[in-house]
Amino acid sequence: MTDTTVPVSAIPQRSPLWFAWRRFLSNKAAVLGGVILGILILMAVFAPFITPVNPEAQSFLTEALAFPSAAHWLGVDNLGRDFYSRIVYGARVSLTIGFTAALFSVLVGIPLGALAGYFGGRIDWVIMRIIEVFSVIPPLLAALLLGALTRGGYATIVFIAALFGWVQVCLLVRAQVKAFREKEFVRAAQALGASPWYIIRRHLIPNSIGPIIIGFVLAIPLAMMLEASLSFLGVGVPPPTPTWGQMINEGIDFMFFYWHLAVFPTAALAITVLATSLFGDGLRDALDPTLKGR
Amino acid sequence: MFAHIIRRILSVAFTFIVVSIIIFLMMHSVPGGPFDANDMPVSAAVRAKMMAQWGLDQPLHVQYLNYMWGVLHLDFGVPFQSPGETVVELISRAWIPSLVLGGSGVLIGAPLGILLGMAAALNRNTWIDYLTSTLATLGLTIPVFVTSMLLILIFAVWLNWLPASGWPQPNRWILPIVCYAAIPLATYARYTRSAMLDTLNRPFVTVLRAKGLSERRIVFQHVMRNSAIPLVTVFLPMFIGTATGSIFVEAMFRVPGLGAYFVSSIEVRDYTLQMALMLLITFMYCIAYLLSDIAYALLNPRIRVGGAE
Repeated sequence: MTDTTVPVSAIPQRSPLWFAWRRFLSNKAAVLGGVILGILILMAVFAPFITPVNPEAQSFLTEALAFPSAAHWLGVDNLGRDFYSRIVYGARVSLTIGFTAALFSVLVGIPLGALAGYFGGRIDWVIMRIIEVFSVIPPLLAALLLGALTRGGYATIVFIAALFGWVQVCLLVRAQVKAFREKEFVRAAQALGASPWYIIRRHLIPNSIGPIIIGFVLAIPLAMMLEASLSFLGVGVPPPTPTWGQMINEGIDFMFFYWHLAVFPTAALAITVLATSLFGDGLRDALDPTLKGR
Repeated sequence: MFAHIIRRILSVAFTFIVVSIIIFLMMHSVPGGPFDANDMPVSAAVRAKMMAQWGLDQPLHVQYLNYMWGVLHLDFGVPFQSPGETVVELISRAWIPSLVLGGSGVLIGAPLGILLGMAAALNRNTWIDYLTSTLATLGLTIPVFVTSMLLILIFAVWLNWLPASGWPQPNRWILPIVCYAAIPLATYARYTRSAMLDTLNRPFVTVLRAKGLSERRIVFQHVMRNSAIPLVTVFLPMFIGTATGSIFVEAMFRVPGLGAYFVSSIEVRDYTLQMALMLLITFMYCIAYLLSDIAYALLNPRIRVGGAE
């Protein structure tokens, strides 16, 4: 810090978000994760424009199991489908499930977390017991069971992922609301006769936006992993739709002779989950430096 | 302290009962029953007698209580996929591969993770710190079956050093154990690192340094002891977490353990086995959390002496 005199008005007002953004940019891994995630989203959105054929079309039956080449960047699978198209369309399934499930987790987690944090007492006790129930149910086994009972499918997986994803959001929001409940401005609002509902909606939830974003972003890779795991075990999104988990499962049978069927979906899934997690971790550290390393 | 433990036991017992009701209702909501008309073309009187014989005509809560009464006597029924034995017999046969592989994975992964975490905390912002963070992130984010797939491809398919799957011969254990070890290694590396950094920044460490204590004694006598609490409490839940992860490891490496049976029980709709495994793992989680809580209370003088949390 140099001690030159600067007129106060010349120092630009910097919001907490600006500092969070700077912290985020200084985290190389997080920026890289964010860039990769952005590319993946673009690929998923524009999938029809960047792939040569429909991922479900068996257009290359004569070339089935062909290795990667100029014509088929990632080869052809055992049923004569262009593997590159299938991998790109797989990103659609993975990302949409990840984002939708995270959205539902947040939509359930915010009100419950705010209620528990604001009112405390009996409401808090009930919500914490519900969370405890979810903490002892092994999510994967329960998901497998639910998936098998309902025969899988897109909506089911989103439902299952949200069912286990809201807990973290709820805990984050609860902690934040609890911390802010005692602040002067909330007391002032109460003294002015604001209803609890108004205070939660107008003051506490906007002040929890950091934890909410963190909870949202961290829920995405979890949901994607759940989808891949269920599809891998055959109770996820049913076949003709290309999903990475399913492709990995099929790839096992071919890996000794046709390595490309196993390597590419595995790599795609690993890169996506890793990029999303790095992005989420970076965002968490940037928005709430006190949580770092947890 | 004592009251705290009693309160935790009651709370865990309550949770377990709620979960068992949820699992029971879930299983009950499966469409179709054992004596449906199209499966068993018998007269209504015979069907009613069979329903009565198996207690299926009774209200739901009585059926639940009957089932839980059986569970208390370790009677989970007969698995549909191998009707020659009881569920308990099947589990007692199948848990050995899971325990051998999962147990050695944890026993190898946890100490390695602690060492890595310590090295990272003591050499902050050096290559070893970055290596540890990278390993921890990889281990915690990449699904087990992806790790398994990569290991199989590298060591079994390309290098041809190790067999890709199977169970009895010990050289077939290496790859699955490495996969199992990944999660405890990552968890412990991360926890140890952050716990030690936390402690190293405390004022008492500065006092010890000012007092002239050697760095080694500071680390091993004071910092480790103060950082150990989270490491102890995270152990049991993580151990059971590997039990869940075993589904994928066993599916990938074709090991006939509990996870493999859970997967096949889903394929053939073996409800008795599914229910038993779910209850068992939930029960183990409950016990693990309870024991961790008690260990935490015992290790932490503030709770040991003070009473409430």
